Amino acid sequence: MKVGYYPGCSLHSTGREYDISTRKVTAALGIELEEVKNWVCCGSSPAHQADEMVSLALPALNLAILKEENGLNEVVAPCASCYSRLRNAQSRAEDDDTRHEMEKVSGRKFPRDVRILHAIDLVLVKTGLEGLKKKVVRKLNGLKVVCYYGCLITRPPKVTGVKDYEVPQSMESILEVAGAEPLDWNMRTACCGASLALTSTEVVRELTGKIMADAASVGAEAVAVGCPLCHSNLDTRQGLNGAAPIPVFYFTELLGIAMGMKPGELGISRHLTDATGILDKRGLK
Amino acid sequence: MKVALQGRELAVDHSFAAEIRKRTGENVFLCYQCRKCSSGCPVRSWMNGSPAELMRFAQMGLAQEAMESKAIWYCASCLTCSVRCPAGIDIAHVVDAMRMMAVEQKVPAQGAPMRLLNRLWMVILRFSGRMYEMGLVGTLNSLNRTPFKDMGLGAKLIAKGKLNLLPHPSRPFEVMRLFNRARARPEGARSRPLPERAERKQ
Repeated sequence: MKVGYYPGCSLHSTGREYDISTRKVTAALGIELEEVKNWVCCGSSPAHQADEMVSLALPALNLAILKEENGLNEVVAPCASCYSRLRNAQSRAEDDDTRHEMEKVSGRKFPRDVRILHAIDLVLVKTGLEGLKKKVVRKLNGLKVVCYYGCLITRPPKVTGVKDYEVPQSMESILEVAGAEPLDWNMRTACCGASLALTSTEVVRELTGKIMADAASVGAEAVAVGCPLCHSNLDTRQGLNGAAPIPVFYFTELLGIAMGMKPGELGISRHLTDATGILDKRGLK
Repeated sequence: MKVALQGRELAVDHSFAAEIRKRTGENVFLCYQCRKCSSGCPVRSWMNGSPAELMRFAQMGLAQEAMESKAIWYCASCLTCSVRCPAGIDIAHVVDAMRMMAVEQKVPAQGAPMRLLNRLWMVILRFSGRMYEMGLVGTLNSLNRTPFKDMGLGAKLIAKGKLNLLPHPSRPFEVMRLFNRARARPEGARSRPLPERAERKQ
């Protein structure tokens, strides 16, 4: 089962452990990932804020590369922003005029039959919860976790197709199978401030502070995320307001642990907020 | 029609709303100021305004007020407003259009240096095809006259192997040609509405 893999810029830098854990977990689930050949940046937020056609043509170029050079029809983008930009380009390309413009600018034919998945969808669609259950060799011992989706995994529903976009449950269902105890909380789809971290850090400090305070108030021992920028903002901006730090995991890292992998081989030691302590405490070395 | 804004009398001009419609396909006149967008907006308190106010500016033809507002440069593009709008306006998309118009018309950005970040991002992308985070943050902070901002954090990230010291270009010529073709497009063909507008009403 071969699926195209679009890591995006973040998974090659600040989100390296997301890249490592996604590759390890999918391999263990029997899904073969093939990196999109010499993929280019999706443009992310700055592109759709600065030049709309560039923001549509860059994802179009990547999808065309996937189709023409990899010969694949399915692609997984673990980064929420990459996923959102790819899906957005696809939905805009349904309009013939827009698609022709995109083809002119990207210089490639737009492949209309590509299926774009987020890493959460990949696990649910390709393995399913039953299949996942068979691969779980050690339960997460009821690790109390809150699932944080951020903005772009679920929004906008007309592009992502997510029905429960205000209170999504997909990550919870996966981690429950892995033996964690997902808690109910309020900030599932709250915004972490995204790239304002670089330009107006005070915004991100306040927004992530609110998110972590809510996580603490429901008694969470860990936060699970599926976006490298969410991870970066939640993981690196802790401990400034005196609150006790809460480790932030990519959901793929927790899956890897449940599938018997060691924290070290999943890249968990790369977090800035110590995440190995809680795993040791739970006997999940 | 004339309206008053803080004691000033203004002639209402629909060309701003028409331009927004042309670029995004969004009809700002559907907004009836329920302010659901603004109550859910995470960055509202930094805006000196609100998404609802931007919609009102657009309806009233107050282009300058909209483009000069801090609101457009503090918007985090989280899309909360767009998914909650009962009139189905993709508000974040309208804000994107306002940002682009402000840049095209050289309206000075208020508050956040996000505009500088966007510009640097697009330059790096244009010439290397992939993001080069060290270059982006280094240049951004130097131009912002805060060269030491986040330096400790940067050092920690490098120690953890999470920041590349050198850029890793990918298909630079193909991406450069893509940018050139996008820039060469005639005005007015910038973007068209999403197909099947009615489907958004569900």
